[in-house]
Amino acid sequence: MKLLAIRTLVLIALALLFLAGFTVFVGRYLHSAAVWAQHPSNRHLYQSGRLKETGTIYDRRGEILLETKDGVLTFHSEQSVRTAVMHVTGDRGGNVATGMLKVMWERLTGWNLLNGAYRYRDKLSAANDLTLTLDARLSALAYKELKGRKGAVGVYNYKTGEIICMTSSPSFDPQNPPDIEADPERYEGVYLNRLLSAAYTPGSIFKVVTAAAALETIPDIEERHYQCSGKIQIGADTVTCLVPHGDVTLRDALAHSCNVAFAQIAGEVGADALQHYAELAGFNNRLTFDGIKTAAGKVDVKHAAPVELAWAGIGQHTNTANPLAYMVFMGAIANGGLSVAPEIIARENMLPAMTKAEKRILPTETAEKLKEMLRNNTLAVYGESRFSGLELCAKSGTAEVGKGKEPHAWFAGFLDREDFPYAFVVIIENGGTGSRTAAAVAAGVLHAAVAR
Amino acid sequence: MSINLFLSDLTAQAASAYTLVARWLFPLLALVILVRCLVPLIQERSANTVWGYLVLANGTSIPVRNWENLIGRGKYADIVVNFPVVSRSHAVLTFRNGIWTIADLGSKGGITVNGVKVDKAQEIQFGDVISLAGIEMALVPQLQNEASKFTDVAGGSSDTEGEKNSALNSAVTLLLLFLFQVLALVQLFASRDGITLAALPVFGIYFLVELLHYLLMRRLQSGNIELELLAYFLCGLNLALVASAAPSDLKKQLAAILLGIAAYTVITWFCRDLGRARRLKYLALGGGVLLLILNLAFGEKIYGARNWINLGFITFQPLEFVKISFVLAGTATLDRLLTTRNMTAFIAFAGACMITLALIRDFGTAVVFFGAFLVIAFMYSGDLRTLFLVTAGAAFAGIAVVTFMPYIAMRFAAWGKVWQYADSTGFQQTRTMIAAASGGLFGVGGGNGYLKNIAAADTDLVFGMLCEEWGLLVALCVLLVIIFFVFYAVLLTKNSRSAFYAIAACGAATIFLLQTALNVLGSVDVLPLTGLTIPFISNGGSSMVASWGLLALIRSAA
Repeated sequence: MKLLAIRTLVLIALALLFLAGFTVFVGRYLHSAAVWAQHPSNRHLYQSGRLKETGTIYDRRGEILLETKDGVLTFHSEQSVRTAVMHVTGDRGGNVATGMLKVMWERLTGWNLLNGAYRYRDKLSAANDLTLTLDARLSALAYKELKGRKGAVGVYNYKTGEIICMTSSPSFDPQNPPDIEADPERYEGVYLNRLLSAAYTPGSIFKVVTAAAALETIPDIEERHYQCSGKIQIGADTVTCLVPHGDVTLRDALAHSCNVAFAQIAGEVGADALQHYAELAGFNNRLTFDGIKTAAGKVDVKHAAPVELAWAGIGQHTNTANPLAYMVFMGAIANGGLSVAPEIIARENMLPAMTKAEKRILPTETAEKLKEMLRNNTLAVYGESRFSGLELCAKSGTAEVGKGKEPHAWFAGFLDREDFPYAFVVIIENGGTGSRTAAAVAAGVLHAAVAR
Repeated sequence: MSINLFLSDLTAQAASAYTLVARWLFPLLALVILVRCLVPLIQERSANTVWGYLVLANGTSIPVRNWENLIGRGKYADIVVNFPVVSRSHAVLTFRNGIWTIADLGSKGGITVNGVKVDKAQEIQFGDVISLAGIEMALVPQLQNEASKFTDVAGGSSDTEGEKNSALNSAVTLLLLFLFQVLALVQLFASRDGITLAALPVFGIYFLVELLHYLLMRRLQSGNIELELLAYFLCGLNLALVASAAPSDLKKQLAAILLGIAAYTVITWFCRDLGRARRLKYLALGGGVLLLILNLAFGEKIYGARNWINLGFITFQPLEFVKISFVLAGTATLDRLLTTRNMTAFIAFAGACMITLALIRDFGTAVVFFGAFLVIAFMYSGDLRTLFLVTAGAAFAGIAVVTFMPYIAMRFAAWGKVWQYADSTGFQQTRTMIAAASGGLFGVGGGNGYLKNIAAADTDLVFGMLCEEWGLLVALCVLLVIIFFVFYAVLLTKNSRSAFYAIAACGAATIFLLQTALNVLGSVDVLPLTGLTIPFISNGGSSMVASWGLLALIRSAA
């Protein structure tokens, strides 16, 4: 019978094949069960394709951003507020990839791998609720300040990481969704949270990165002088300024956003160092927090020709910046070189400081020098009167995006205040001059943030 | 609030609280029951009877452990006689009905008994001088204490300490099984919509049947009872699933379980004695051919394939029963298997089955039959090369079928991308996966699922229902039982009384395995969906009866 026992190997092989197939299933189950359960035909969680019930989402002041009322998903009671934070909550259709309805779906619906869709008494509990760090009314104000222009505004506390303002335009009223397809121009990329999921040409705001690299790698950079005649020939190309800035230091060059000086500085810093400090500043990296994954900005000068390096040093070339990541970089400068990871969900545990994710990206002295230079920008160029009492440190950007199109307007920086340690970013697509349009939005939002 | 409302609210609260606790108990109990059943079944095999000894001239004494023993020089011989003159497979020593026989396998050196040349096979007595190509040996009886073991196995009952222990153990397992099933029944009543009160007598009768059959088996059958307990476990889940998805089928399903147990008893009785078992084989072959003809003549199409017969008062799927015939058709005793190597009858029967399956367009069952054919044919011939050829041929045929038959091609088209066709050709698979994801590890509670509202939820998609209502862990336990049936059949082969039983057990286990594999993996899109039943678990009368019949073939090898 030994002979037959050996021949049963065929049967064992079949059994192993089955086990292998089943392992494939278990693997897929562990990986994708949450996605499967999210299918609108899942009657445990959905009724005619809509979520039956979710936990309530509160903002930092306890205002309800999302709740289930009589079996219907209901957003904030005021249209302007719910429209401004639509990208934060997500819409009923589940179209916003970074919305809480998507990234916190498990918590909001109570589904998990262990219990599936089971709920005791078919009810959700307080454990399914969510409190955000966000101030919804501040976000509403920011949305209003954008005046229908496409773009995004973000404000976060650079000491704690809490995002207190986040809005993206265009948006829509999630309570009464319009016919998106009827107006593709107006609703272009409407499901995209532009603060998190977009990356734009940075323009002059990138000069802060170049300046950081210069301060770190060129010992006598602060004593050096550059001559700006309004243009400089690099290779076959010419880099120009709107007006000749004459004899400038790094500090002056940053304040007046002198392209000619920065084109030279970028050359002196060199491709490798610029690449290195850009990556420290958060470029070529996606941030992940509270289930959200941001888009990565991009800097690629490893093999750049001198002229390309010059353009990259003033935020053009192929550079792109993710608004949120850039805001975090600004926060790191404000925080003495320590970068604090952003967060949108309020902490419930007792040890907030212990679990805060901090990363040193610059030495304190460099950060302090940059801070002073950014403060000088406001005093010397943007005008302290517009930002009175804010102790504003900032850099504007006007990013050229190609023929016939208005440039993107940027304004990014922070308040050098112990009581309001806020970093911010404003991006307006084709918004024109950053120090004018984007700075105006920032002024409105920051004054309100401090007043609240 | 009126008193009625208050009371109904109170009941609802109690029901919810019950589910909250019970859903953790089901996997726990299932696991305990499983372990308590598997351990004795595995341990039983390690004790192993010696029927006699073969004593060589040089004084070596080789124990004879089987009823059919291959003698030869080869490493797969049961009795290795390592002399160059002896062939690799020289002879088969058989013990049947108290008579020892030696058969020549066409060896070079031949066999003589007491100096007389053996032509094909010859009866031998203890003490006869057997010579394999001049190597002399004699068969001597087993020692006295071994003899008492012999009478045990032959059917007598003794009251040794070990037997008492195992009886107590199995009784405790049965109690745990009852606990599981009673808790499951209460869960069904505590579910969202509750279940019909008519379920109560059905489950009551089932509990009674389990108890009576258990007591009966304890009396009649030597050895372990745990294989039956595993089947009770699966049938209990079957009733729970049917109660949830198709309560009107409950009585039919109970009847099928009763018939199944009856079939099981009859087949195990037939198989006790090899002579009877071989008569059963021819009976089953005749019956199988008849069923195939009936199916071709009167088959009706109910879902997909034309594999139902309607007798007015009852409808059944003849092919389910043909599975038993198919497995028996491939059996043979070791001497027969090694001397004639004649598989004509089996191949002819298998061919008839495949043609019928092609005509009625039952693709899934064809795959199962083909798999069983491969396993049985390999056990029979040991010829890997031919097997590869056959498989390659079948693969080509399969491709042709898939290419030319539009409705099968459609199923293959959705395979691997069912989420793209979630509401059309991928409907069943996506709903199964959604259900599985909704159940988590512990399930939402029996009766609380939604997959049950979808057609074929309790048959083709039953794995999804099992996961959704009882949880992935219980579903895993069910699969473990099926895989254990396979493992057990393999385990039994080595010490089986006859190759006949070993082949039957492995064939039956193959059918269990393939059906489960195609059902489970098909419903979750690892394989194309084919629409087969999980043995014992899916709703279906014929399938239930046939499952018990096939299990009887595994039991008979023990």
